[in-house]
Amino acid sequence: MGRRRRRRPDPADAARALPEAIAALSRTLPAAPSPETFRRAKFDRPEAAPALWRLLFRVLSPLPADGALASLALEAQARWVKSALRSQGYPRRALVQLPDEGSQGARELLLALAWLLARGPLPERLLTQSHVRLGDEMPVCECEALASPGLPAPGVEAEGCVDIRHVQWLTGKLRLRWRNLMAGQQEQCALLGKIHSYTRGCHSDRSLGHLSVPETELLRDPEGGRQLLQLLEKENARLEAALEWRRRELVFWQWMDTVLDACSPEDSPPTFLPRIPEPEAGVAGLLARELQALQEELREAAEARRAAWQAAAGGHGPEWRAARRALQAAVAQDLAALQRSWEQDQGRARPHGPRRLVRTEARAPGGPDLRAAEATEALRAREACLEAVLCQLQGQCRQELARLAGARPGLIWVPPPTR
Amino acid sequence: MLPAECSRRLVAELRDALDSCAERQRQLEQSLRVSRRLLRVWEPAETPAPEPTPGPEINEEAPSSACPPSPQDLKELELLTQALEKAVRVRKGLSKAGEGVKVPSLKSGSASTATKASAPPSTSRCTGSRAPETKPPRGVHHPWVPAKDLPGRRLLLVGDGAHMGQGAGANKTEAGLRDQQIVPQAASQVPEAFTLKDKGALLRLPEAFRKAASRNARLWAQLSSMQTGDSADAAAATATATAKTQFLQKMQTAAGLPGSMLSTAEVGRLQKACSMLRLRMREELTAAVVEQPQGLWPEGPPRAALPCGGGADPVWSPQLLLYSSTQELQTLAALRLRVAMLDQQVHLEKVLMAELLPLLREQEPLGRPWLALCRAAHCLLCEGGQHFLTVLQDEPADRLSPP
Repeated sequence: MGRRRRRRPDPADAARALPEAIAALSRTLPAAPSPETFRRAKFDRPEAAPALWRLLFRVLSPLPADGALASLALEAQARWVKSALRSQGYPRRALVQLPDEGSQGARELLLALAWLLARGPLPERLLTQSHVRLGDEMPVCECEALASPGLPAPGVEAEGCVDIRHVQWLTGKLRLRWRNLMAGQQEQCALLGKIHSYTRGCHSDRSLGHLSVPETELLRDPEGGRQLLQLLEKENARLEAALEWRRRELVFWQWMDTVLDACSPEDSPPTFLPRIPEPEAGVAGLLARELQALQEELREAAEARRAAWQAAAGGHGPEWRAARRALQAAVAQDLAALQRSWEQDQGRARPHGPRRLVRTEARAPGGPDLRAAEATEALRAREACLEAVLCQLQGQCRQELARLAGARPGLIWVPPPTR
Repeated sequence: MLPAECSRRLVAELRDALDSCAERQRQLEQSLRVSRRLLRVWEPAETPAPEPTPGPEINEEAPSSACPPSPQDLKELELLTQALEKAVRVRKGLSKAGEGVKVPSLKSGSASTATKASAPPSTSRCTGSRAPETKPPRGVHHPWVPAKDLPGRRLLLVGDGAHMGQGAGANKTEAGLRDQQIVPQAASQVPEAFTLKDKGALLRLPEAFRKAASRNARLWAQLSSMQTGDSADAAAATATATAKTQFLQKMQTAAGLPGSMLSTAEVGRLQKACSMLRLRMREELTAAVVEQPQGLWPEGPPRAALPCGGGADPVWSPQLLLYSSTQELQTLAALRLRVAMLDQQVHLEKVLMAELLPLLREQEPLGRPWLALCRAAHCLLCEGGQHFLTVLQDEPADRLSPP
């Protein structure tokens, strides 16, 4: 060879970058179509649409990949995807107008997927959802339980009018379920305690010390163990793909810009929109009132504290003013940090996932690990607060009902005996 | 009867609550099943038919022949064979009448295992080999690897046929004797019962699994650090973030829908924020009541904070929860469930208030239906659905109709 090649950014690399990025995305997402499908979607090819509907369904459904859900007809999945995206605030109307039977709109679906990817750490969230649990895990806080209820599972029918007794019956049923749950939970803890003690010293990882139930189970049942290992290896492959995706994704976004440009601009006249279920408006109003009430409460409490502080600190001198300024600066900083972290928290974050249980006598203080005693203490505080809130709400109701009943003379209300 | 929309919303909320409870119950029951089974006597994954001749046993092990033994398998096999021969010698010394018959089968068993390298004994079984695999995960076959540091090489054992039919209790008394005897699966009938309680400490995780698990942890750590922006390539990260924001903005402006409507997801997040805020306020205010303002800025009492900041770490990270006794664990678990239940109750209370109070306010308090509704509402709203109050009509005497 006579010619010497100079090392310069090879255009072939740039040409490869996009397919490799898309390939990484395809490898990390669950049930993702081939990279070729993504390319076809840009050109709105009909054969690309069904795969993208299915992908969106898989990605948006809150439950893990379920046999029953996965076998829903494409049409049903498409409808569900549309309402799920709508409830997340997807801005484009073109999606809603796509036919349900699922053979059109590949480009719009690609845009929808990109929209989801841009809003939050979607691959990571999906990986966390399906993460292979190797330890015995217990969530410490119930923040996930507070997460938005999202859409009802596909296949829920509307109810007619019910009597209030039905509501009472459902409440009773709920109470019973909780009681059973608590009893079962106690037994499970006892069993875990035993398993952890019996396998002490077995784990190669000294910081863990003993085996967990999944680990012991894989020893008891080698076939199950083999399956667990396969799942673990699959997850590892998806994790590597996710890392690669993160490294390469810039070129994907540049490409998506071109996809968006390829779409015809949406017409803006206010055409008829599918009716949004009303509860959202009602709930938002409720929320607004609640926030206002909280703000009022906070303002009162802050006033009281400020006055008390001023009285205790005494007087006004320059020292006092300087301290006050310093405090205001600190508070402003805290608020700014809070706002930043809230803004970052766009996707459905899981800040405090479940933790792996480890039985140990060691009393090393500090460190990143949480001790059961500390967690219990914090939970007790939360319990007390919730009980107080519930009591307060019930008291509010009692007053209101008494007022309403009082408007009706000639009745005696005998409250139930207090225990 | 309640109006249709109201009914729908109430029933939907209660159904949600019931469903989430049912889901927890389902998961709990699954865990209970697994845990109970682990604490019982372990059934061997393959129970060979109890026959004295080694041939059929080896054939039962034959599925494993599809799987080529690893060097580790072979080494262990060799060790086992040596141990077997020693055991035969020991047994000859101790043999009772009933066990004499086993010795020839032992011999033939050991001979055949020595020659048939493809039929490894129980300590290395290729269980997964029925389905053709490109990469048989070898590590998983070695559930009971000898603890190399123990002098009296305590391999987990399979029992011999003489003790067939005796329960786990008998195994315990023979345990001391058995430890010195090593009998291959091929020659024996019923494997010795294994209980976690007695022999749990001998277990070791297979190599392949350990490797995969540590790789898994490493990958998660890498992904997590990339999330929090620790990555070396900050410039690329910023460029990507900008590109994403621009894309979202373009999507929004290209839209035909008014962007100001709150989506359900956003409403949900706001509700969550509201609840957390309310709780936090209560904590602060109740703490402040107790606290005396000292100095220029009263320090809040050092509270055990749950790791619920606002720190968004959406990626799983291997954090531990340390406990020291079963009692401690039970208390924690019970409390966690109680908090979840209370949280649900507060939410339902608000929903009920929002639905029922307006109804009662609107309706004319005329007849029985209103009274019944009021009484039921009182029960639900004020007594958690558990106690009813009594309503008495206080008719003036002159209104009573004569009998």
